[in-house]
Amino acid sequence: MSFLERVDQGIRQSAVWRSLFRNPYPNDERSRAYAVMNNVFLHLHPVRVRQHAVKFAYTFCLGGLSFFLFLVLTVTGVYLMFFYAPSANMAYTNILQIQTEVPFGLLTRNVHRWAAHLMVFFVFLHMMRVFYHGAYKPPREFNWVVGVVLLFLTIMLSFTGYLLPWDQIAYWAITIGTNMAGYAPLFNTPSKFILLGGLEVGQNTLLRFYVLHIMVFPLLAAIFLAVHFWRIRKDGGISGPL
Amino acid sequence: MAEQQTAPGHRTVQPVDPARRTEIDKQRVPMSARPYRLLALVKQDAVVRVQKEPDDTVMTWPHLLAIEFLAAVLVSVFILLMGLFVNAPLEDLANPNVTPEVAKAPWYFLGLQELLAYFHPTVAGALTPIFVLVGAALIPYVDRGNLLATRPSDRKTAVLLFTLFCGLGLVLTFIGIFFRGPGYAFALPWVTGMHFSL
Repeated sequence: MSFLERVDQGIRQSAVWRSLFRNPYPNDERSRAYAVMNNVFLHLHPVRVRQHAVKFAYTFCLGGLSFFLFLVLTVTGVYLMFFYAPSANMAYTNILQIQTEVPFGLLTRNVHRWAAHLMVFFVFLHMMRVFYHGAYKPPREFNWVVGVVLLFLTIMLSFTGYLLPWDQIAYWAITIGTNMAGYAPLFNTPSKFILLGGLEVGQNTLLRFYVLHIMVFPLLAAIFLAVHFWRIRKDGGISGPL
Repeated sequence: MAEQQTAPGHRTVQPVDPARRTEIDKQRVPMSARPYRLLALVKQDAVVRVQKEPDDTVMTWPHLLAIEFLAAVLVSVFILLMGLFVNAPLEDLANPNVTPEVAKAPWYFLGLQELLAYFHPTVAGALTPIFVLVGAALIPYVDRGNLLATRPSDRKTAVLLFTLFCGLGLVLTFIGIFFRGPGYAFALPWVTGMHFSL
């Protein structure tokens, strides 16, 4: 036995390793079932899935990738939060500092931006995929509704994040976007005022959008995501083949 | 109980009460009187079971997890490369007094902004998004024609309407992205350049 093999065995037989992983590396059907069932992250999945469901061309992994991007955005977003203050005086300076002084700050901001656009895009595509497969039909009607709510939350997450750099693009894009809300019948003045915290985009708007962006919408999205995934299993797994 | 303890660790089987003999008891024959011997036991699974449905499932580990992992890795590589080579846009500090030449909403709202050019803001900016979201949520409750049909060819109306709607949104968004310039007037991207940032 070589030195490396002995180290490998030593690690695998240590009390720490065996307390972490209760089963050995899954090689047969039984242990593979346990690996999925006994893992808090993997048990989102059933132990067995229908054969057509694992074909890439059936789902294009769009829903899973949207969720993956949500996780990427959470991680990069939390890192950016350390260096950002939602203040009209500080925000833009903070962005410049993130880009020039913070380690990997520019990369993190770029990844956050591109992942956000990609997530909105993937959620759209996911919705189209589900429609063309007729996967919204009974018993999956309500999960489609949950999906529409998640689409709305995704767009709102992206939209609220758009303002945070506090540059000209952000300011005027949000001005246009919220002007539209100002034309809602019956609710026009209140809805715009509630969104902006004033008559035009300003410090209150920045703080509101920040709180919505980092706390309210991610929490709501997490709750609806949990329901969404749960209901896939409860509604009999992924929809049937065409 | 048909069993009785005689000595610790030793049990004898009492003869069955004739009044309570079951069909199995009647067929019970002393071992020595049997004209045959037990040669082998055949498990049920070894015999062809006709009623068993064909199994069309595969193990999640590794079949599904491998694909998910690969997809996640590819997307990670993609956004990392994007992040390395394309910087997120950042313009000058926000200034309420300076309206930029081109002011566009984020791309997913550009379809609505395009509608603003044609319709009253109440229609374009408020009623349309509400109609789109509520309408989308109601699809499964409206499309009750053939609940079992999932093939696009079996539900042409639904597919056609949805495709037309998506196509309309796509065209409006494309016009908003590529063909609108300063002051949100029509502009050709190959003449005046792009007026759009992600």
